[in-house]
Amino acid sequence: MLDAIITLDQVSRVYSMGRMEVPALVDVSLQVHPGEFVAIIGPSGSGKTTMMNILGCLDRPTHGQYLLAGTPVAELDDDGLAKLRSLTIGFVFQSYNLLPRTSAIDNVATPLLYQGVSRRERVARARAALERLGLGDRLDHEPTELSGGQQQRVAVARALVTEPALILADEPTGNLDSHSGAEVLTLLHELNAAGRTIVLITHDPDVAEAASRQIHLLDGRVVA
Amino acid sequence: MTFAELLRLALSRLRTSRLRAALTMLGVIIGVASVVALVGVGQGTTANITSRLAGLGTNLLTVSPTGRGGTTSTNLTVDDATAIGQLASIGAVAPEISTSQTIKAGTESETVTVVGTTNAYASVRAYDVWQGTFLTTVSVDQKLRVVVLGATTATNLGLGASDIGKQVTIGGLPFQVIGILQAKGGTGFQNPDDQVVVPVGVVQKYFVGGKSVRSIGVSVAKADEMTTASAEITSLLTERHGLSSTETADFNVFNQTQLLDAATSISGTLTLLLGGIASISLVVGGIGIMNIMLVSVRERTREIGIRKAIGARGRDILAQFLVEALTLSLLGGLIGIVVGLAASAVIGQLAGWGFHFNPSTVVAAVVFSLAVGVVFGVWPARQAARLDPITALRYE
Repeated sequence: MLDAIITLDQVSRVYSMGRMEVPALVDVSLQVHPGEFVAIIGPSGSGKTTMMNILGCLDRPTHGQYLLAGTPVAELDDDGLAKLRSLTIGFVFQSYNLLPRTSAIDNVATPLLYQGVSRRERVARARAALERLGLGDRLDHEPTELSGGQQQRVAVARALVTEPALILADEPTGNLDSHSGAEVLTLLHELNAAGRTIVLITHDPDVAEAASRQIHLLDGRVVA
Repeated sequence: MTFAELLRLALSRLRTSRLRAALTMLGVIIGVASVVALVGVGQGTTANITSRLAGLGTNLLTVSPTGRGGTTSTNLTVDDATAIGQLASIGAVAPEISTSQTIKAGTESETVTVVGTTNAYASVRAYDVWQGTFLTTVSVDQKLRVVVLGATTATNLGLGASDIGKQVTIGGLPFQVIGILQAKGGTGFQNPDDQVVVPVGVVQKYFVGGKSVRSIGVSVAKADEMTTASAEITSLLTERHGLSSTETADFNVFNQTQLLDAATSISGTLTLLLGGIASISLVVGGIGIMNIMLVSVRERTREIGIRKAIGARGRDILAQFLVEALTLSLLGGLIGIVVGLAASAVIGQLAGWGFHFNPSTVVAAVVFSLAVGVVFGVWPARQAARLDPITALRYE
């Protein structure tokens, strides 16, 4: 199927620790199609983080082929990866990773800055994204002035503002209380219902329940 | 990213850490300010020396006796001066003899340099008459007891424009004031405005005695004939004094331009030296910027990771940190220029040579502080740009 957003074909990632070679991912093959909500689940040490780095184009596979929205990732240089990330992926991290001492609206507008969008349009789109997530009254708040749940919603707004083909959420509920965590999962659900493709990476089976398909990782291999 | 975007980012960053930005800039401010101020002082000194020397007279040669003679034992005479005046290359000649006397006007009195000379003195020494007249051929030839007052002397004696024609006494003898000179604006030792001018014969007759003069001021007609004129005077006086060519001359022809050149070259060197020393502090300021930028890159590792994850390329990060360093150094440079110009204006005012604004110093200071920003900002910025996003994102 050519129209898959993510195609991993026999992907391995091996880390060299001195003379030792430590495989973190071994011959992983999988596909994610537009509109899917997929959870990648596994205990710690199963290769989740490596998977996240590869899928997020922060790292390149050692072997195998990774096609993201039709682009072979292995052939890109660092600038090419940055451009691909900028245009295709919206990240949601466990620890929010908002820019410190920067207002919510500027945080959300920053990905557009690196796409070369004009300031006027950046502000308008960031405002719209924040308002859609119910943060219209928090535009000028800095991260330290927001609760964890609010910060994660700002992060989701930042992931959405570029209209990416893929939203990649890495333990998005890990730092949140159960109430805020449930809200964020509901939010991801709504986004998926609106047609977004979402890949959720987690160790928590309850969180993975939110997805429509689960991929289980163990010791660097897909087990189910 | 456009430059305007980068500048906006840099300024908002500096706003969030104002104290640190201010302290970092302080190094550059001090460096640039001291360069601008010291170079300004150097140029002020040069201009001051030049204008004072030029004020002594243009194309001026001074003939003076050699040896350790006092004013009375010299061998130059008024006739020597007259003979020099016959030479083709000479514009004007004024023999000079001076003595220190007490001058009194009413109840005011002071000790002043009395210069005995001829009517040519004004053009040789570049004096203008403010009120009244200068010495005339008649008053010089007939040795009339008339006096022309220097501007400072007139003020000290409480004499003004309405006092032309009044009587003053010099060394107890009555003199008539016929004129007051225009101020030249010198200060301190050998103030050219604090003297009085009387006919040369009067000084010889009443105060000094003898036929000799202390020196002969010669104004050469054309600037490019200075050397010719000097040679002509030398051969003329050698002949008149009956000296053979092997004997050491008993006089010396001194060229004002040489002194001017020497003084200008010395103060130019001094300016360069002062500027060079001040530049060292600018370099130290630059190192301060580099230090802070390196700390900043370390502190903001996670921010850099986030920016890279959401689409920043290495060059975007490089540009961001470089523009930050440039903003610091340029802002510091501009403040430093203002401080430096203010300082050199104050110093110029106190020293009495006024404010000499030199645009090229300002341009050089701006260029220099930009260079400091680039040189000391590039390395930290490259460190930031090269960070691996995965490592940077996990950095605590």
